[in-house]
Amino acid sequence: MFGWSGTILRVNLTTGAIRKEATNPADTAKFIGARGLGTKIMVDEVDPKVDPLSPENKLIFAPGPFSGTFAPSGGRYDVVTKGPLTGTIAASNSGGSFGPELKYAGYDLLILEGKAAKPVYLWIKDDLVEIRDASHIWGNLVPETTELLRAETDEEAKVACIGPAGEKGVLFAAIMNDMHRAAGRSGVGAVMGSKNLKAVVVVGMGAVKVADPKGFMAAVEKARAAVKLHPVGGAGLKAYGTDVLVNILNETGALPTRNFQDAHFPTANKVGGESLSEKLLVRPKGCYSCVISCGRVTKVSNPKYMGEGEGPEYEAAWCMGPDCGIDDLEAIVKTNFLCNEYGLDSITLGATIACGMDLFEAGHVTLKDTGGVDMSFGNADSLVELTRLIGNREGIGDKLALGSYRFAEGYGHPEFSMTVKKQEMPAYDPRGVQGIGLEYATSNRGGCHVRGYTIAVEVLGNGAKLDPHVTAEKPFWVKLFQDLTAAIDSTGACLFGTFGMSGEDFASMLTTLTGVSYTLDDYLKAGERIWNLERMFNLKADFTSADDNLPERLLKCPIKTGPSKGEVSHLADMLPEYYQLRGWDEHGVPTPEKIKELALD
Amino acid sequence: MLIKFFADVRKFTGRLEQEWTRPAPTLRELVLGLAEQHGQAFLDRVLPGGKLSATIIVLVNGQSIVHLEGLETALRPEDTVAFFPMIAGG
Repeated sequence: MFGWSGTILRVNLTTGAIRKEATNPADTAKFIGARGLGTKIMVDEVDPKVDPLSPENKLIFAPGPFSGTFAPSGGRYDVVTKGPLTGTIAASNSGGSFGPELKYAGYDLLILEGKAAKPVYLWIKDDLVEIRDASHIWGNLVPETTELLRAETDEEAKVACIGPAGEKGVLFAAIMNDMHRAAGRSGVGAVMGSKNLKAVVVVGMGAVKVADPKGFMAAVEKARAAVKLHPVGGAGLKAYGTDVLVNILNETGALPTRNFQDAHFPTANKVGGESLSEKLLVRPKGCYSCVISCGRVTKVSNPKYMGEGEGPEYEAAWCMGPDCGIDDLEAIVKTNFLCNEYGLDSITLGATIACGMDLFEAGHVTLKDTGGVDMSFGNADSLVELTRLIGNREGIGDKLALGSYRFAEGYGHPEFSMTVKKQEMPAYDPRGVQGIGLEYATSNRGGCHVRGYTIAVEVLGNGAKLDPHVTAEKPFWVKLFQDLTAAIDSTGACLFGTFGMSGEDFASMLTTLTGVSYTLDDYLKAGERIWNLERMFNLKADFTSADDNLPERLLKCPIKTGPSKGEVSHLADMLPEYYQLRGWDEHGVPTPEKIKELALD
Repeated sequence: MLIKFFADVRKFTGRLEQEWTRPAPTLRELVLGLAEQHGQAFLDRVLPGGKLSATIIVLVNGQSIVHLEGLETALRPEDTVAFFPMIAGG
């Protein structure tokens, strides 16, 4: 095979059995790799009703065909499993260099099954695969874990691991790789912890075989040039990082504030990308084969919040900042460092604390409940303290570790949780940007912006310029972006490549790399197939159209201040058309005709 | 009128925001007035060849001028105008 290595590595942690299997070309042609191929394995092998934290759930590390090639920003991989936060299929995507290294070692997928009797880590050096004792590193933070494992294996090894949050079953624990990159969402780190698997450590000396080397390099050069010439991909993200979005969302009136009580934060500029670059940025940083370098190496010298690390991204700065009523950038950066060290999804972390602050101010959570922690909006010290408590599952942190829905439900007020399918929504208010509300409601892994980033066309004028306040055309764009994103994720490419690259660029590189012909239509059809496969998994896990919804606050409580004052989400005006465009019935179930069309029967 | 500048647009104005008190009945006239103050580089960034740059986003009271009247969007003294470069992230 070209592009794909042709081998799947399967490790049963209960029995210790290690098997190498041939990758099925029929599957890679239809589902590409990474998110798509991992989902295909989940559908074939795992009961959708399985307890996500039981040994019967599987955990799949999945690079894509682009991973380890010269394709621009082709350094990504997905972790595919059933997510404990949502109960849905989970595919969490991460950058860095871990994904390419797994390809260099010779594997299209790493499938982990069962549960080890004691803490272990997996050591992979090309054909050598060993399950090793990890008792001595259990309990360590991510940086120490990474350093210890490199020291006892290979200094060049790439490490994906969990921190204390994953070990202790925080339902939004992340899997961290290369110390600072996160497969963040839906609690994939808790699944890894439930298997007593501390880390996967990889060194690979192989390469990715290319079907048409000249054609591939021509397509790569064209794509790299397109990204470099684009104002966002070429310069904007490197200069300011993703946190540059704080101000434009605030000025648009769509920056969720104080747990979505409002959508405008007067001092937002203090936590935006311009302020971060001016005050705390050490240097920009890129992942494997990246031409963008949106990553932020940052440092805080103030003794109160001292630290060094990476980030925050826009989403983290928002949820730890305006969503908590906080404009202390140093506290936010420190909290982001802690998320990386403990292995926590920064979005759910910040949004869950915001929900807790909302409940606290409403009187539903008291100082007695919090063990004396003042959970008022705006309290930056409490943000930092609560993050440590969550990472260690101590005090009130033990309850917050379940995410905002279960936390708020425990105090009798689930309506305070700003979630879809129990996953916290990110940093765009669906009352101020209509299409993204439909996207959140229908996302296959719960509230998420990177399943179909309509903000590009609704706010940023990137590709098209749609009015964020109207619902017309939004179902079409949501479906298109969801399908295209599923294809890009499954290729092992970074979504930010779309800031310059066209769908044709992705299809052209995939064709010349793999030798399997993909037109743009084929590529989008593969994305649609993957989207429907995820949907079918969720339906079998007992999700219904009733779960394609938004919190009541967004449907009934108008934005109070700012440019979008008075707006609510009009989800009900968009959802039926979306189902129709998808070829689903009125209950959101794919019709037999659609299933046949996508060759999913 | 409150005028705000973000990301690389700030490099041309040297400030986050400013009050504008001179007459500016339309956005075009506001940009030309700002160019008198901030120089040719600002004008070249925002209005190259007399047309709005494809890599500039202008909001008037939070609404993109693409959905208003473009450079001919009427302005009032109580309005807020924000200039952004084309940005993205997530």
